[in-house]
Amino acid sequence: MNNERSKAEEDLRVIRSLMERATVYRAISAPAALVAGLLSIFAAGAIYRRPVHGRVFADVWLIVLALAVVTNAFFIWREARTDGRPFISSGMKLALRAIAPNLLIPAAVTVWFFTTGYKGAAEQELVVTWIAFYGLALLSTGLFAPRSLVYLGCAFLLSALAIPAIRNVIGDLPANLPNVAMGVTFGLYHLIYAVCAWPRERAEIEQFAVE
Amino acid sequence: MFDFQKLDKIIHEKWRLAIMALLASRRVWSFQELKAELKMSDGNLITHMRTLHKQGLVSVTKEFRGRPQTTYALTAKGRSAFREHINALEEIVKEWKS
Repeated sequence: MNNERSKAEEDLRVIRSLMERATVYRAISAPAALVAGLLSIFAAGAIYRRPVHGRVFADVWLIVLALAVVTNAFFIWREARTDGRPFISSGMKLALRAIAPNLLIPAAVTVWFFTTGYKGAAEQELVVTWIAFYGLALLSTGLFAPRSLVYLGCAFLLSALAIPAIRNVIGDLPANLPNVAMGVTFGLYHLIYAVCAWPRERAEIEQFAVE
Repeated sequence: MFDFQKLDKIIHEKWRLAIMALLASRRVWSFQELKAELKMSDGNLITHMRTLHKQGLVSVTKEFRGRPQTTYALTAKGRSAFREHINALEEIVKEWKS
């Protein structure tokens, strides 16, 4: 009876683990987060040393975004190829459907910034929008994302809320606050996420396989 | 005392149980996806899929999307059998705890 009980418990644990794994999709791979984090810190450091404003500021960060997106796509593609899965998997489609609506407002604000916003030095507004909606995009994958990605989304959202508050409380903050905020959020937060979410060995499946 | 006859002998095998768990988690799985997820050999997976298909627990669809692709899904009978199997396992654990 004890043996049967142990076997039943083990079976239930394996079933649960397999079903959870099958429904979890990590929209940002840990290696891509590492690259994005390093790129962001490098960009923030460069802007800190030689400050740029207006359109050039936005240009730099859009280049970082483009590189980060390409890197993420590469790592997801490589992982899919290694595992023999399709690159555009059902998990990816689900993630894109959840994330896409959250990108409309930041896209519109970026267009506005490039047309008129840059004249009023609205970098803080632009940065807060990017950080807030990136956080919301991550949180929108919460139903099927691993917990670490949800925590990352919360960190971004709370930071976006904190930036205007900090600006109001401490009046004489340096003019490069938007750049520092980008470095801390897209740089440091991604690095922390990469360390926490670095792909772990598929211990449970492999343990199951060798039994 | 738990009646061990309640356990479905087909599903109770560890690989078939794993396959059923994956099929229960999502509507359709391709052969390649199942193979990658479970790290099984082609031959081993084919054998188990045939057994499950013969018992009417799994449906098989063969399509041509640029290349031949075989997909699998649980049938209504398979879903119900899997649910009953999980209930039976939970019953075993509960009985021991009480």
